[in-house]
Amino acid sequence: MVNEVRTLLHEAASTPPADDIDLAAVLAGGRRQVRRRRARAAGGLAVAVVGAVALGTLVGQGTDGRDTPAASVVPRPEGPVVRLSDAGQAREGTDYELLSSSTNEDLDAANGQYYDGVTDDGKILFRDGPHGPENSVRYALVDPATGAEDWLPPLPDGRQVFATDLGADRLVLLTFRNDRGTGLRAWVFDRTARTWSSMEWAGLPPKADLFQAEVAPNGRLYVGVPATVGGPPPGGWPTGPDGEADDAAATGDTYDLWSVSLTDRADARDEHLRVGAVAFTDDAMVWSAVSGGVNDRIHVRDLATGAEHDFDPRSGKRCNLLGFGALGDRIVLSQYCGTYDDGRDDRVQVLTTDGDLVTTIQGDGIDGWVTGGLVRVTSYERGRSGTFVYEPDSGRFTRVSDANSSYGLGGPVPDGYLLWDTPVGTASSPQEPIPGATQWLARWRP
Amino acid sequence: MRDEDEFVAFAQGARDRLRRTAYLLCGDWDRAADHVQDALIRVYVAWPRLTRAGREYAYARKALVSVVLDHARRRSSSELPVEADVQRPDGVDVAELVSARETLLQVMAGLPPRQRACVVLRYFDDLSVADTARALGCSEGTVKSQTARALDRLRSMFEDSSLGELTLGGARTW
Repeated sequence: MVNEVRTLLHEAASTPPADDIDLAAVLAGGRRQVRRRRARAAGGLAVAVVGAVALGTLVGQGTDGRDTPAASVVPRPEGPVVRLSDAGQAREGTDYELLSSSTNEDLDAANGQYYDGVTDDGKILFRDGPHGPENSVRYALVDPATGAEDWLPPLPDGRQVFATDLGADRLVLLTFRNDRGTGLRAWVFDRTARTWSSMEWAGLPPKADLFQAEVAPNGRLYVGVPATVGGPPPGGWPTGPDGEADDAAATGDTYDLWSVSLTDRADARDEHLRVGAVAFTDDAMVWSAVSGGVNDRIHVRDLATGAEHDFDPRSGKRCNLLGFGALGDRIVLSQYCGTYDDGRDDRVQVLTTDGDLVTTIQGDGIDGWVTGGLVRVTSYERGRSGTFVYEPDSGRFTRVSDANSSYGLGGPVPDGYLLWDTPVGTASSPQEPIPGATQWLARWRP
Repeated sequence: MRDEDEFVAFAQGARDRLRRTAYLLCGDWDRAADHVQDALIRVYVAWPRLTRAGREYAYARKALVSVVLDHARRRSSSELPVEADVQRPDGVDVAELVSARETLLQVMAGLPPRQRACVVLRYFDDLSVADTARALGCSEGTVKSQTARALDRLRSMFEDSSLGELTLGGARTW
């Protein structure tokens, strides 16, 4: 008998069971990913294509032209405004001291090596992997002064992990609890005992969102569990001047806040608080009412006394909150506020914890987040792309690089450190990412 | 920031074909549905630039292959298929045909994921070597060598059984 490969393959796939693909879940997942893309990169969590490629997905094909917004000029935010053209050029030796760099020629390769962050005692968390069919990863702590590598015992988990809290005593890496990319598991490395321990919490709802997790000053991990999900208005999103459906002024998402111990698997607490996004300073917890949409309330809780106050951040009426952070007495909001005839309205708004407007960095294709005690701003604007730094204490605004890699790299760094990346190589086509990147680690000089 | 109606229309039209490809890539219908959902989310994110370029399905298939290979890398085991379709043309030995199909899928389940993908893309999706290379993100030479190894394995398994010879069918050659 003769058997034909083609025939057998088609026969094998000819009688599928009922189609249970959930297009609503696809749409919800896609919307969340689009909204969160830059916020994710802002957290330094994911090795994911961002930059020019990612921003390219935010603009594009037109629709039917219905409900085109009447306004055609990017509006001016309330309070002081800074623009990219106001930035001075940061200089090595003057503004910062370069400590180390690492180049990866092909970030799509399975044998990548990356800086995943810097520990509080100044060691680079250096990742090698994933490798092989088990997707195994190994980590080293590298002294940037000498280059000495201290390889840690292998991490017994093949899932993608995200450096979250890199202390002098312990390292906390988060990963998903299952292969479907949901749930939360922590890997904690005891730097004294040199052992990894896995933490899961039976009392934590299984939908806990890894990308809504923050370690508080008390060492507990606070994590959001999805509560409400925003959607398009009746009739769909209006069409912007670029012909693209414009989801500015979105409803946004909320989460129920939980906290877990990183040393006790039985300790999972419902904080009985519905939030948008959460951040911590040394002495306060701050949260928004909504994330991924228009947020009109910021809450501040004094961690020592429990006293709370809240205020309207006076963000624009169309501003979707995409990134949220805090440092000292400053709160930083990264927002997308709509597209107009003269470009996108992106804002990095800096407020005090009392609600006073400090400044708003406004640009066409920018985002910003708190890292190392600084506000790092990334611009994807054509002709003005690169990494910028805003110092919240002095208000100094400088440009560090003039290009971005196509990947979100890095991780948490202690105050006074800056980690950024630049592209290496050439994209195979305009729609493909630039394959390589160099990561740069510097000590920022106040 | 996107035209969801167009995306939904595309997803509804592509889901069945993608699911069949996913099934042959992973050997499990439930997991195939999960993979297609994950791939369609990637397509949603990239949709504006894809509709400009007019290569939506090729991108979706590439995203699907990427999702399946990513998943395969995370798993140390793979599943053995398969549920049988007993509806056969008259005059054909149903048991023999079902056995041949099961054998093919079982041998494919044991292939390295990229070799398996080469077989599926070349002989189920009928992609050229160049298009298969684009879908897998590798060179045409790699596709040729991986396909040849996979087919050698499949052919030897059939030769060692009582099922008879295994050929490609259609116009393409080994």
